Amino acid sequence: MTAFQMVHPLLFYTLSGLMVVGALGVIFARVPIYAVLSLVITLFGMSALFVALGAYFVAAIQVLVYAGAVLVLFLFVVMLLDMAPEALFRARSRIMMVAGIAFGGIFLWQLVHVTVVIGGRPGLFTKQPVAGTTAAVGKLLFTTYALPFEAASMLLLVGIIGAIVLAKKKL
Amino acid sequence: MIPAGLLALLPELWIGLLFSAILALDLRWKETRSSTMGMLTAVGLMPLFPLLWWQHSSLHPADLLSGMYRLDPMALLFKGIFSASAILVTLMTRELGKTIQRGHGEFYLLLLTATLGMFFAASSANFIMLFVSLELIAITFYVLTAYLQTDLHSLEAGMKYLVLGSLASGLLLYGFAFIYGATGSLQFSKIQEALSHHQASLPVPLLFGLLLALSGILFKVAAVPFQLWVPDVYQGAPTPVTAFLSVGSKAAGILVVFRVLQELFLLQAHQWSPIIAWIAGLTIAYGNLGAIPQTNIKRLLGYSSIGHAGYLLIGIATATTLGSAGTNFYLISYLFTNLAVFLVVTAFSRQTGSDEIRDYAGLSKRSPFLAAAMFIALLSLAGVPPLAGFFGKFLLLMSAVTEGYLPLAIVGAAAVVVSLYYYLLIVYTMYADKPEDPTPIPVSAPVRLALLLCLVAMLGIGIWQGPFLRISLAASFQ
Repeated sequence: MTAFQMVHPLLFYTLSGLMVVGALGVIFARVPIYAVLSLVITLFGMSALFVALGAYFVAAIQVLVYAGAVLVLFLFVVMLLDMAPEALFRARSRIMMVAGIAFGGIFLWQLVHVTVVIGGRPGLFTKQPVAGTTAAVGKLLFTTYALPFEAASMLLLVGIIGAIVLAKKKL
Repeated sequence: MIPAGLLALLPELWIGLLFSAILALDLRWKETRSSTMGMLTAVGLMPLFPLLWWQHSSLHPADLLSGMYRLDPMALLFKGIFSASAILVTLMTRELGKTIQRGHGEFYLLLLTATLGMFFAASSANFIMLFVSLELIAITFYVLTAYLQTDLHSLEAGMKYLVLGSLASGLLLYGFAFIYGATGSLQFSKIQEALSHHQASLPVPLLFGLLLALSGILFKVAAVPFQLWVPDVYQGAPTPVTAFLSVGSKAAGILVVFRVLQELFLLQAHQWSPIIAWIAGLTIAYGNLGAIPQTNIKRLLGYSSIGHAGYLLIGIATATTLGSAGTNFYLISYLFTNLAVFLVVTAFSRQTGSDEIRDYAGLSKRSPFLAAAMFIALLSLAGVPPLAGFFGKFLLLMSAVTEGYLPLAIVGAAAVVVSLYYYLLIVYTMYADKPEDPTPIPVSAPVRLALLLCLVAMLGIGIWQGPFLRISLAASFQ
């Protein structure tokens, strides 16, 4: 396990800047495909931050699951819907904008509250090594969380059976 | 010396073994032998009862397997309820015959995984375990609801259930995350300890988390305002799935509400009790009033099951031993009563292919046994003495009155009258109207046996309440 280390400020600000640029791209892109691709930048920036914190496993999962699976799903949906640009433009109503800003505001407030107010309390964040490495996660999965892990494997099996049953015409 | 964790896990392991056996047979056997496979599933589930009884009498209640698994009387009672409903639902599935065009074996497999999920949910002592098992139940039911591939109603029901169910799971997870954030643990025992510092009132994040988690769970129970999916899904899903949703899934929801409210947040009962009481009252009113204009029997049973969810919540709202025992008792009687009704519905629609109430006209002449079984089951659902449904309602309303929820008790009592009206309308159609098509309806031996068992249980629980009340009391908190 790596010792707890601070991310170098230069690295942190570069990555965060990249993430903000990506996030702005998601909002302002006129074509949905570009919006999805901008999201990739944000997610990669986030996984790079995890690497900088020594949480390699989380970083890898971030890339595999979010940048990989979830975004491909987004792309599929965008391509399947294939909305005309005018329809997209009309979909951006004022109500959506107000609601979006309101929700964004709530989440921002939450984030600030958690990091500044709650995070400022003594004893909450200790400078201990991050337990996000593969070894630590694997150990937990096969000891403490062995039962939920097995139950989750059952869940995946149900997913497979269900997909086959629903999608195939003849079994 | 066998470790206690392994002994406690035996019922789940047994279901897993049965699952593997059915999976292997499904690969080998032709589709034509599916009714044998159904029998095998039903018979294979039966050893669970002695197993659970043995666990009850010889194992001590404890948190096992790194604190993930809870062995206590409540979990065991609910596991018994789940097993009984799984067996009856499997027998119903055998009756479906050609209604399911393909994948009979997979249907039984999915019934087993749903049961396994319910077993895990009953024994969860950790939020991660609880969430995984609830998802196991939910995802199985999404597939089962949409099982009739060529039936648009079934597909629509599956889609609706999937979209709303995913939303509910999201809320649930969000709520769990807040509770975790505020208490620093996912373990029930540790959360309970952390919560004992907030006796007077809950801090905002905890209250927020509790409400979110409750919203997610009450979706499963189908309580107002999370009941909108019920009529469409109940009508569209294959009848055995509807039956399992209305008993198994609902019981699992009630159990989780018990665990979260009466175990974790018991000290804060004064804060959530009025909320649950309101929800219970509104749910009873909504379900029973909504059932009146229905013409489809599955839809009507959907509304009436919302009403019953309201009664079940009364016992939780009162936060007393009497209340929880009442809810447990009500659930036992509801299990046999509601499944009896669904057995009749399955047997009827197998022959006639219809679920419309007007087609039940003259059922008393076409099959006196089915009509009589339906009559008794509907009376028990409404709560007519001396049937099982009566004593459960009596206990719940009594607990509401003693805890000062008089208006709630009045709503519950008034709803009995309303429910008698729409239940007896069905009885009237069955006995007084002339049948359009007087051909008799055959009843297969397993269904006859299952119905007889349900009838005996309804009468037995209603007249000889003692042992069942003791079981319900032993399985309640405090």
